[in-house]
Amino acid sequence: MQADLSQKRKNVVPQITPPSQLSRWLNDARFVPILLIAPVLIFFIVWNVIPTLWMIGLSFYKYQISIPDSLRMLGIENYADILRDRGMWEGLSRTFIWVFFGVGIQTLLGMFLGYLFWGSRDMPGRRLALTLLFVPMIVTPVAAGLFFRLIYEPTFGIINWATQSFFGQEILFLQNTQYAFWAVLVVDIWMWTPFMILITLAALASVPRAELEAAEIDRLSWFDRLRYIILPHGKFILMLGILLRTIDSFKTLDLVYLMAVPGSTTKLIAVLLREQAFEALDVGWSSALAILLLLTAIAFTSIYLYILNLNSKAKAQEVGT
Amino acid sequence: MMRLRGWRKTAYHILLWVIALIFFAPVLWIIMGAFKTTDGILAVPPQFIFTPTLDNFLDLLTRENTLRYLGNSVFMSSTSVGIAIIVSFLAAYAFSRFKPAGTDFMMFMLLSIRMVPAVATVIPVSLMYAALQWKDTYFGMIMFYAMFSIPFSVWILKGFVDGVSQRFDETALVNGGSRWHIIFRVILPQVAPGLVAAFIFNLIFVWNEFLFSLLLGGRDTTTIPVSFSTDLYSDGGVDWTFIASMATVYMIPPVLAIFFFQKYLLVGMTFGTVRGEV
Repeated sequence: MQADLSQKRKNVVPQITPPSQLSRWLNDARFVPILLIAPVLIFFIVWNVIPTLWMIGLSFYKYQISIPDSLRMLGIENYADILRDRGMWEGLSRTFIWVFFGVGIQTLLGMFLGYLFWGSRDMPGRRLALTLLFVPMIVTPVAAGLFFRLIYEPTFGIINWATQSFFGQEILFLQNTQYAFWAVLVVDIWMWTPFMILITLAALASVPRAELEAAEIDRLSWFDRLRYIILPHGKFILMLGILLRTIDSFKTLDLVYLMAVPGSTTKLIAVLLREQAFEALDVGWSSALAILLLLTAIAFTSIYLYILNLNSKAKAQEVGT
Repeated sequence: MMRLRGWRKTAYHILLWVIALIFFAPVLWIIMGAFKTTDGILAVPPQFIFTPTLDNFLDLLTRENTLRYLGNSVFMSSTSVGIAIIVSFLAAYAFSRFKPAGTDFMMFMLLSIRMVPAVATVIPVSLMYAALQWKDTYFGMIMFYAMFSIPFSVWILKGFVDGVSQRFDETALVNGGSRWHIIFRVILPQVAPGLVAAFIFNLIFVWNEFLFSLLLGGRDTTTIPVSFSTDLYSDGGVDWTFIASMATVYMIPPVLAIFFFQKYLLVGMTFGTVRGEV
């Protein structure tokens, strides 16, 4: 019987052709991971590693594209020069003010509005309302800069029309060096507050329902509810959001570039770097600055991942208990 | 969470709508401008009620190069993001399942690329492109944008692949499936939402990207964001009707995307590091 069956099976099972060399190679456990990662690795090496190494090299040279034969070894002179440069420090402090007020206001306003939008599940037309609310962050930054140039325009801009009809005064938002910085910052706040609303909604959604209901039964005040229940659960997501915003705010360029005003009141660090690299064509010096910004970015990334790790650890603990 | 009833609830909903409309107002003003004549845009006092005209959109169609620039935007953003998603998905699978040595370092470096100010990344690349004569070529631009999209895609997709149980891989292997079968027939369908989210949001980022296009592109590869800054002036003044109508047309795809794919908005805007819906 047994023999009979195996005999039968032998007849049924078709002859397996031995796998070709290629397919054996494609399925070799040693090669599969390499094969999978190779394309990304190639992109990474060609478009990042090589250019970055090149840039590190150039940062030790004096090299100005506009001047022929200007290549000259400088050592760390470029870096020393940046640290001595007054304009750079002004640009840096301006960038810090930009980040501090920009991200600060976006966070506070975003948290407040996000809290308001919490519990809007059954709002009529919610999807459309949220789309309208989130439009500022997906509008082309260049276009947004131009919109606001029209809106701020002294003679036919809508804001100046309003100030003129109510206060009888026109305000040169972008032409006045005192106001320009803040006028551009308002646009940044308009663009990115919706992002903080989004983050706040995500943070609120991560608070367990049961604890909120318990708080309601215990008649906790809103402040205590925020302090003891919402913040402990939502803080990681909020921190990730704030950090992402800080990094992006630090990088701001398009908006300021397009709203550019005479004078230097809106020259953030990225704007200065663009000028040095692509207008003054001082490649050596701007490479050195780019390297410094790269190191800053790596530091930011480390902090971001540290918080992300805390978040997943906290989650794992929750699941464990 | 507030529990409201009756008129309070209605008032609350109206308040939320008003907030949303306040944020939308500047955009709405431009959309209205797109349907006005030049004199209408520049009128004092501003016109809130006016007879709409489609002349500006007709002007866009007949304007030299505008359609070509729009074509460039569509072509370069879709191909580069397409390439980025394919290679990122493969790498994300490998990083998630095989965890080769240096995975953490690689993920860290990919995230760092995203954190560097764009102008700092573009300096060395523009030198390289000048040397290789890749500036203002479709190849150079598409490959660069693919690289621009890869970090985000790998992060978002690794998160999604991590979410698929290893059991699926094991079961398929035991049953004689090849790795490639597992990747494309078992895992791929399960991470489809991640692919969609990565595709949509990278598309929006590349679509809106300005600086790289300005500095690495040129006459042949001009995209619409760059044309905003180069075609800004006409007849000695800012060409507002062009800006308004072009901006209106150009923002339609991203707006539709966040309307229809709203549930991916959070994943999309946070690099895939925060999951959930709003």
